[in-house]
Amino acid sequence: MKILFFTPVVATSAIGRMAELVVRQLVIQGHDITVVRSEDFSCFDSPVHLFEVKVLRWNELDRILSLASTTDAVVYQVGNSYQYHRGCLEWLPKLPGVVCLHDYFLGHLFWGWADQVGRTNAYAVLSAWYGMDVARSYFSASSSQHFIESTSQTAPMTEWVASMAIGVVVHSGWDIQRVLNACPGPVDVVPLAYNVCVATTADVRHVVPNCKEFSQGRINILTIGHVNWNKRVESIVHAVGTSDVLRNKVVYQLVGRIEPDVRMQLVALAESLNVDLLISGEVDSVTLAQAIQQADVMCCLRLPALESASASTIEAMLFGKPTIVMDTGFYRDLPEDCVCKVSPEREFEDLQKTLERLIQNPTERSVLGKRAKQYAETTFSASQYASCLVDLSRRAARGTPVIQATHFFANTLVRWGALGDQLPLCHTLAPLQLFETM
Amino acid sequence: MKIALCSSFAPFIHGGSRNIVEWLQVKLQEAGHQVERIYLPQVDVPDLLFVQMMAYRWVDLASSADRIICFRPPAHMIPHPQKIVWFIHHIRVFYDLWDSSYRGFPDDAKHRSVRDALHAADTAALNEARHIFTNSQVVSNRLMHYNKVGSEVLYPPIYHPDQFLCRSFNDEIVYISRIEHHKRQHLLIEALRHTRTAVKLRLCGIGASETYVNDLKSLIVAAKLGSRIIFENRWISEAEKVQTLSDCLAAAYLPLDEDSYGYPSLEASHSSKPILTTTDAGGVLELVQDGINGLVTEPDPRALAEAMDRFYLNRAMTQQMGQNASARLRELNISWSHVLERLLS
Amino acid sequence: MKVLVVNNMAPFIWGGAEELAVHLQKHLIIAGHDAELLRIPFQWEPATRIPSQMLMVKAFELWNVDRVIALKFPAYLIRHPHKTLWLLHQYRQAYDLFDAGQTNLPEDQAGQAIQQLIKQADGETFRESRRIFTNSEVTRQRLAHYNGFDAEVLLPPLNDPEQFSGATSEGYIFAGGRINEMKRQYLLLEALALAPRNVRLVIAGPPDAPEDASRLRKLAESLGVADRVKLDLRFLARSELAEYVNRATSCAYLPYNEDSLGYVAMEAAAAAKPVITTCDSGGVLGLVLHRQTGWVVSPEPQALAEALAQASTNTTFVRELGVAARERWLRMGITWPNTIARLML
Repeated sequence: MKILFFTPVVATSAIGRMAELVVRQLVIQGHDITVVRSEDFSCFDSPVHLFEVKVLRWNELDRILSLASTTDAVVYQVGNSYQYHRGCLEWLPKLPGVVCLHDYFLGHLFWGWADQVGRTNAYAVLSAWYGMDVARSYFSASSSQHFIESTSQTAPMTEWVASMAIGVVVHSGWDIQRVLNACPGPVDVVPLAYNVCVATTADVRHVVPNCKEFSQGRINILTIGHVNWNKRVESIVHAVGTSDVLRNKVVYQLVGRIEPDVRMQLVALAESLNVDLLISGEVDSVTLAQAIQQADVMCCLRLPALESASASTIEAMLFGKPTIVMDTGFYRDLPEDCVCKVSPEREFEDLQKTLERLIQNPTERSVLGKRAKQYAETTFSASQYASCLVDLSRRAARGTPVIQATHFFANTLVRWGALGDQLPLCHTLAPLQLFETM
Repeated sequence: MKIALCSSFAPFIHGGSRNIVEWLQVKLQEAGHQVERIYLPQVDVPDLLFVQMMAYRWVDLASSADRIICFRPPAHMIPHPQKIVWFIHHIRVFYDLWDSSYRGFPDDAKHRSVRDALHAADTAALNEARHIFTNSQVVSNRLMHYNKVGSEVLYPPIYHPDQFLCRSFNDEIVYISRIEHHKRQHLLIEALRHTRTAVKLRLCGIGASETYVNDLKSLIVAAKLGSRIIFENRWISEAEKVQTLSDCLAAAYLPLDEDSYGYPSLEASHSSKPILTTTDAGGVLELVQDGINGLVTEPDPRALAEAMDRFYLNRAMTQQMGQNASARLRELNISWSHVLERLLS
Repeated sequence: MKVLVVNNMAPFIWGGAEELAVHLQKHLIIAGHDAELLRIPFQWEPATRIPSQMLMVKAFELWNVDRVIALKFPAYLIRHPHKTLWLLHQYRQAYDLFDAGQTNLPEDQAGQAIQQLIKQADGETFRESRRIFTNSEVTRQRLAHYNGFDAEVLLPPLNDPEQFSGATSEGYIFAGGRINEMKRQYLLLEALALAPRNVRLVIAGPPDAPEDASRLRKLAESLGVADRVKLDLRFLARSELAEYVNRATSCAYLPYNEDSLGYVAMEAAAAAKPVITTCDSGGVLGLVLHRQTGWVVSPEPQALAEALAQASTNTTFVRELGVAARERWLRMGITWPNTIARLML
């Protein structure tokens, strides 16, 4: 098949990294791929993942349109960042395709889009999916944390993207209902494609110089990724700081983008609790891989779990690292004997107990790590992902003529002022059920 | 009964299926039924197929008609508890003509998805019907092959069979039909060159293609057959048709791979005249049996010439075959009473 | 030009609008165009079906058509770059009948949503139409009031003016048209009772319901005028109707507040017969002027009786009124050629 593949390609995008793996496998499987980078203009000069195929920019309208006329399938990698996925939103309405949904919560993506297209359009989408009340209060959150808390359950914007797709790949079965409700075409659960960055096979113990050096005998606990409040960093610092067993044995390292005020807060907290906190900031992928390689325990906690799957967790497992996760969402799917799960209701106690156990038990760490690696290698396979993606695209294509016809009518009704669910549509929809049985 | 006859149409284009519908309407009304004829527009453009099919789904005849009979696609998409389909043809470029030069769009993923979706939708709609009839075995076979749907062959009669008669047998083999390349009048002209008897040819009709008509004229001139071929290149009235057939030696009808036997074959049979056709004529062979009610030859000028000479020389055989042709109509139950009986059961 | 006339269809029902559409097609052809008729089944009960019917019409693709002339909702929603409306009917149950509480739209939010949908779709159609004509002044006013669009009144002509040649005058007054309360044939009977004994009346036409006929007959009996009135209450063939009109001395038509001129008045004028009407009859007053082309009196038996007395005598005056009525009608130019010319501008 000829495939147009929309994705971020910047080096700092984990999705971009995954896309490169998948595209490589698609090429091996004999398909003709053109990548269209979906980041906002501001990212165009940043370092990128290297793709072996042609890479266009989403704003190259003519070239994309001309390619689109001969393409067999279009794939969109969508995640919760407007900066990284703007191009997907620009093209989805015009160029039907399959969406690989990396995050169920798309509030930030939506907010960025709303800034671009205006609140009126945003309110229209919000009220159509969630009602006028939700729409009215949507943009009034006081902080990022508040925003996520208040909208992730009531208005995660999953439906908004899913409804624009002719098919959706999700990476876990968690909270799939919204996708199923909204997507007119097939929805498949496919484990996220991932692998270990090649450069890390070198046995180099190299830490990004930032503050302290590691001292011998210390256990290195690592959390990677953009330091969001939902990654539970504070909980970990607390758990370490209030445990005699942990406090002096552990270095807690953060690798990933961190806002200055958050950094200040965490540093202050660590100092007050006498926790050895090493904040490395944002690094390139090679350095990141090295940091993971060097870690003894990975903490990949998320609460609430916003992603469809966690690239960093998969990465940790592929590196054979014992990993601590929250027992929610995507992580529920992971086998009990491959990761350590912490219950959200007893976060503090479970976390502290688990850390203490792991720190005191090198054998357990090793066994866990090995099992994690074996599981991850077989499950998160890029070639498997690629063939599942192709299969879904074919099935979605069969449903496309019907979907496009329904769009014609939906658009007509909207043009005639039909909003919300007041217009009785039973007699309109019933005769069309024939097309669903196909 | 209140019966709605439903079909698709293209404004200002008069296709063959209009005859079936309009004649059926008269016959049903003569039998005392109330008939409404519903023609809705349709264009066979891939991107527009499904929007139009959905429109047909919304045609609501459930409370006004006791029964609906659906003809040209996508009329069979109209829902009704008593839906009868008299299936004349698929949208063939999406079916048996997919791999042919008639498909005016590329064989790419998008169009394949339209094709696959169309097959599924047609199948689902056909399965809603109480009965499915077709106009030939060829079409029935296609329905089974592509849609896995069984059907009964119901041959469409001509409107006024009674006006046809058999008066005499002259020297002419007549071909009364549209003048078109796939009707292959040229083959017959070629054949005449190879005949050894004084058998003559009369071609009647008009065609859309001036080129083909001119080609035929050139062919006649080049073969120096002007004295033995009459080319009536004009519209032939029903009355003229009756006269010509009543006195002819035999009738020819040899289209390339046509779905149904065609009205010319039927008209000849009603006139008790044998039919000359070829092995590759398609549905015509459901009516014409070699040596019984006509002669079926290879689509080759010499083979045709031989057959034409046989008709000329063996008048007894020709007459007998003509009678068999008339009997064959009864054998195949080609009559309006049978049609009504089946459609209304 | 290839002109497609697009109208609704209520299956198995044939009325004035259907006649109009057929005659429109016929006269388009007479004027030299190709014309076909598209009749779209419309099911408006229950009201929740209406959105699907609107979408159905919107989905149709018309190729090979130069012009569309559309007559009613929802047929006029059809897409075409050159669409002319000759508005016979909007969906009045969303407009004036809605205001009058005579609607099948439910009273809840769902009903409001449907009403809004109709209004918006109508607005879109009126905006995209090249020209809008209406069949009466009232329809024009409703369009202006409810939808804010201007239109030109184009009165439907008589379909067969040549049948109404007039000729003889046999001393009776003819009252044609449908029989119902609004047409007020009862007033004529009451007037007849007060008129001189030599006045003869013929009332002929189809009753809307059997009760309308029986009521009239009973009234004639009770008023004691049964011997002076002929009640021929049934659907008449055109030739029968024309007979009645042609041989009358005068005609009478006095409906209550009707919007259009009415075929009855036009038939009378075509036959050069003066018309008796009342001052509250509505559109017919455009043709009938008191003591110029007929009589306009107050809707009371006594006033009508005096008019009846005058109108039944074959005097020069009465004949001249008839001639003037005909001239006035001819000057109004309500003919098919004029109508086609306006529609095709």
